[in-house]
Amino acid sequence: MVTYFKEIATAAINTFKGLGVTLRYLFKPAVTVQYPAEKLVPFERFRGALLFDAETCIACNLCVKACPSSCIALENATNEAKKKIAKVAWYSIDFGKCNFCRLCEEACPTKPKAVWHSLDYELVFENRDEMVRLWKKNFDFVGMFFDRKSKEYKKPAGQIPIQTVAARR
Amino acid sequence: MSQPEAAPKPAPAKPAPAKYPDPVYNTQNGRLLMRDTRYWPTDLWKNPWALPSYRKAAVLLAALLLGAAAIATGVGELSRWGDLLKQTLDGFLDGKGFPTLVGAGVWTLIKVLIVLHIVIISPIFLVWWERKISAHIQTRLGPMNVGGWHGWAQTIADGIKLLLKEDVTPTVADRWVHRLAPVVVTAPAILAFAPVTFGQDLSAADIDVGALYIFAVAGISVIGIVMAGWASGNKYSLLGGLRSAAQLVSYELPRSFSIVPVLMFAGSLNLTRIVQAQAGYWGGIVPRWFIFYPVVGQLAFTIFLIASVAETNRIPFDIPEAESELVGGFHTEYSGMKFSLFFLAEYAYVLLASFLAATFFLGGGAPPLPVLGFIPSWAWFLTKALAVVFCFLWFRWTFPRFRVDRLMDFNWKFLLPWSFANIAFAGLYLLW
Repeated sequence: MVTYFKEIATAAINTFKGLGVTLRYLFKPAVTVQYPAEKLVPFERFRGALLFDAETCIACNLCVKACPSSCIALENATNEAKKKIAKVAWYSIDFGKCNFCRLCEEACPTKPKAVWHSLDYELVFENRDEMVRLWKKNFDFVGMFFDRKSKEYKKPAGQIPIQTVAARR
Repeated sequence: MSQPEAAPKPAPAKPAPAKYPDPVYNTQNGRLLMRDTRYWPTDLWKNPWALPSYRKAAVLLAALLLGAAAIATGVGELSRWGDLLKQTLDGFLDGKGFPTLVGAGVWTLIKVLIVLHIVIISPIFLVWWERKISAHIQTRLGPMNVGGWHGWAQTIADGIKLLLKEDVTPTVADRWVHRLAPVVVTAPAILAFAPVTFGQDLSAADIDVGALYIFAVAGISVIGIVMAGWASGNKYSLLGGLRSAAQLVSYELPRSFSIVPVLMFAGSLNLTRIVQAQAGYWGGIVPRWFIFYPVVGQLAFTIFLIASVAETNRIPFDIPEAESELVGGFHTEYSGMKFSLFFLAEYAYVLLASFLAATFFLGGGAPPLPVLGFIPSWAWFLTKALAVVFCFLWFRWTFPRFRVDRLMDFNWKFLLPWSFANIAFAGLYLLW
């Protein structure tokens, strides 16, 4: 008889304990982020979309050799004497192949790095042309892609890099 | 650096200008909204009042409640407006020379439409509220976008989606039973609302066997659920239907017996009379609600609440649907509007259970303190009913699901004996 009532009492107390926990959490502020409006900044070593700076690059080909998935390609610029100079004519990264390993950034000898991972995790493509990002002399860090349908360079749309400069070493 | 065409160089190497805004701006209305929530917000949770949005939300909630109370006070007793409407209607119809039967018919039709719309429109709010409560219990925010303010229109959008969805009937299904089942589930749910007293002198049908009628009509829904399970031609649905039949029939007993003390105290099955029996205060402070009768009242209320949760097939008693075991139970093979009819019935029963709890145990439309009598009875009734609905949601997001045998054990070995004992206690109370 005593154990029966004790059991009931324990069960009731534990039930109310559980209810108390949920009630306490009900009044705590939410920890979630309303994504399209609010964005979290990833950690410092996050490997987001690659950015490239054509001004800094010395066209040394180290990143091309370091890349395990051979997604990087570049061509030296030439001077009037058709002699190669330490500048790129064009530089391209195929994000369809890229596996975001940071080997290209580690191989890059310049300071600051000419190619580096941003903290941008919003890399979205609608077709294959958009995956091949291309940089020329006065392009932005984020680059352009060549649309084969309209035969022109376009800016990657809908991509808002998160702290592009802060991540650069 | 060997640049052949090198013009006079600028002396210090200027750092590359930031070509993008940094940090990121919000895409909506251009405000900076980035929060550093990379770490678990322990400090924030210790003192949530430090968060401006938290303070704002608290003020908003208080303002909403006060505003609702003010509006309710302004509107006053709904039965007064009803009487006014009826007088106007009768006067108009008499003036046109219609027989009295027409007036009675029109008046009944108006009452039926009002009750019907309470049943049909309330799930729009209840589903939204349930999603909000569940989200906040899990420290999420829930629907935030549809409709602008805290996703208030989310349920309407979902309803439209369900309306536009393809209505699939499995080839092996028993077509007519499959089609009929949602109707058999939903129709009693609406019918059972007829004698509910929504406040002072406010019920669609003030019948003398109100309590009995509600339990009898609500019991019909079990057949619909079994029909749905059988007609789907799916073993999981069949199992769900059978489990549902076993569970609902079992829990019907303690649920009915738990209100027997109430009926004994009130001496009537009429809901209006039950509410009238709870009027007044002990010592001018403690209301004479049945839940405040020592031991008997609390026991009866607890049993009624638990059995009601089981009757409405909600977690922790949701073994008829049990997503992890039975896919979706009896409504696995239903889609579109038929599926939403099952949902409508579930929420209608939740509402009915909370209305009944408010009527039987929480004094109907009586204010908890005599001072608060200026707020009309229907507002108090609604407040109490919503408090009970909140309990339903709270249980749902706290407890894990019962195992089938434990569910039955709990009912037959605990709830039912105690509800019988409670009747005996109530008898002693009346004698003494």
